[in-house]
Amino acid sequence: MLLVEDDPRVRRALQLALHDEGYAVALAATGREGLAALETSTPDVVLLDLMLPDLDGFDVCRRIRHDSDVPVIMVTARTDSHDVVAGLEAGADDYVTKPLVAKELSARIRALLRRHEPARTPRRVRAGDVEIRVDEGVALRDGAPLALTRTEFRLLAELALTTGVRSREELLERVWGYGYFGDGRLVDVHVRRLRTKVERDPTNPTLVVTARGLGYRLVR
Amino acid sequence: MTPGRVAWWRPQLRLRQRVALGFGVLALLLSTVVALSVWSLASHYVNRDHTLTADAESTDNAQLIATEISDGVRPSDGLLDRLHYPPGTAAVLLVRGRSYRNQAAASLDLPPNLVEQVGGARRSSRAVTIDGKPYLEVVSAGRPAGSAYVELRPLDDLRHTLTRTWQLLVFATALATVLGAAFGLFASRRMLRPLAEVTEAASAIAHGDLTARLAARGDPDLDDLARSFNRTAAELEQRVQADARFAGDVSHELRTPLTTMLNSLALLENRRVSLPSDVSEPLDLLSEDLHRFRALVIDLLEIARFDEGVATVEGEPVLVGELVARAADATAGRPVTDVLASASGVVLLADKRRLRLVVVNLVRNAETHGLTCRAVTVSASGDTVRITVDDAGPGVPPERRGRVFDRFARGISPHVGTGLGLAIASRNVRLHGGTISVDDAPAGGARFVVELPVDVRRTSAVSV
Repeated sequence: MLLVEDDPRVRRALQLALHDEGYAVALAATGREGLAALETSTPDVVLLDLMLPDLDGFDVCRRIRHDSDVPVIMVTARTDSHDVVAGLEAGADDYVTKPLVAKELSARIRALLRRHEPARTPRRVRAGDVEIRVDEGVALRDGAPLALTRTEFRLLAELALTTGVRSREELLERVWGYGYFGDGRLVDVHVRRLRTKVERDPTNPTLVVTARGLGYRLVR
Repeated sequence: MTPGRVAWWRPQLRLRQRVALGFGVLALLLSTVVALSVWSLASHYVNRDHTLTADAESTDNAQLIATEISDGVRPSDGLLDRLHYPPGTAAVLLVRGRSYRNQAAASLDLPPNLVEQVGGARRSSRAVTIDGKPYLEVVSAGRPAGSAYVELRPLDDLRHTLTRTWQLLVFATALATVLGAAFGLFASRRMLRPLAEVTEAASAIAHGDLTARLAARGDPDLDDLARSFNRTAAELEQRVQADARFAGDVSHELRTPLTTMLNSLALLENRRVSLPSDVSEPLDLLSEDLHRFRALVIDLLEIARFDEGVATVEGEPVLVGELVARAADATAGRPVTDVLASASGVVLLADKRRLRLVVVNLVRNAETHGLTCRAVTVSASGDTVRITVDDAGPGVPPERRGRVFDRFARGISPHVGTGLGLAIASRNVRLHGGTISVDDAPAGGARFVVELPVDVRRTSAVSV
């Protein structure tokens, strides 16, 4: 994994503790270093502190997202800040707040890297003109793959694997590994991002629709 | 404020009462002076006028009698009844040792020594009382020689008029005093109205509304006060905000070293078995306090958001019974929640994270300060959802109930928890437009009661 964090002591302590949890951690002190590191290596996950000395953290996030679908966990100042929504909209998959602890971080990473167990008969779901190949991890429109991040795809797959409504709590549990008290904004912002990619008219969704403020449903 | 010693002659009165009293006393003094002057002048002139008239008429009458007698008219022939005097006047003529009376005098019990009394005087007038009635006695003597003519003119009417005048003056004085006091009360109220506004604003500030200010009234005397008050309030507000920001900033900054410490500690704990055994205890101490420290920093940050007035509600529809049950049972580590039928299915538009903090902090408080959390109950009636948390502790004495939601208002077991849990709970409840209070639980111990309006509006940046 790649850790982008400006404080050297935090960087080192996290690297050591995450190593104990079984992760090989590459370090970057600035946004530019982080972006450069991504050009030469392909980490499984990026941990990005939004408070960076050189570039705006949201900007770094957008640039990472532009080139890659690697899961990004951002480190935000506060839970109740607008940074969370801004960061998620910039493409982050999840967020943590300081003080962050390697063990908790490891649980977050594991949840994001979780894959669907391949089924014996490949599961394919068609919704409108979009075909979701759950086991292959791709969604196609007219035979061409859609550029979904891994988290966006898993969200879409969760909706595809049930015919009914998935509540936000269920989606938080299944996609992010959170319990009942997970942050519903994760789901809402990801659905918004997903719609810009799978809907023909994202402001007027016909595939991923909201169900009475309680959850979401995929229309087939 | 410590009350000073109260002298018996100077009872403690409110400012307005003192002003009213002052005005009343002033009105009393002024009107008394005026009344006494009026009285003395009026009575003097009325009395003098009456006496002069009586003297003149009586002298005329004596002259007439002298003329008639010298003309040979006998006094017994009703001479005295033909004279000119006010009705009720007793006229007595003493001539050559005999006395003659008019009709009024005949029915009057004249003093037997009247003759001796008037014998020496040639002309005199004085007030006398006969049969309990006041009379003006006018004596004319010597014409004809050796005779005396006495008129006793009734003073009833005059006295009556003067008495009425006196009563009127006393009444006017009393009225002036009352009106003076009333005016004083009215004037002081007008005068003190700006002061009342200051009091109101000051108490608003004391209750935490640091934005309270005084409006300018266009009166230079008052505007100076308003200006300095507003300046003080603004400085206080800035100071409090700066303090709140400082607390927030400090906690914020603490999180960076805390991250380093917590992760380094985790590394040590992972290697606990390979460490010398005598390091085990200090490692436990370090671990325990570091986690407490972490909780404290997180709580401080949470509360700083309120103090800075930037706490916001991320409202979403929430099944309140389910949320409370999940939060309370997980915190207690066992099922403690009872969602009554009235609350089942009730949906609140609430901030899940904040509502959870309320429940978690109340249950945690019950588990630590209240020995154990006995029961959490969720009920609903009308537009209100009620969450009660009962514990088995000694309860909160009534005099401490107002302060129990303050920051660091330590309960019975010090150094348990961060001391911010109830403060955070109460702020989050208020942010949702609800109320929180503490009472006695029916089974003993304390009962914390949270009441939330079902219609929690989406609020942003509410200062609480």
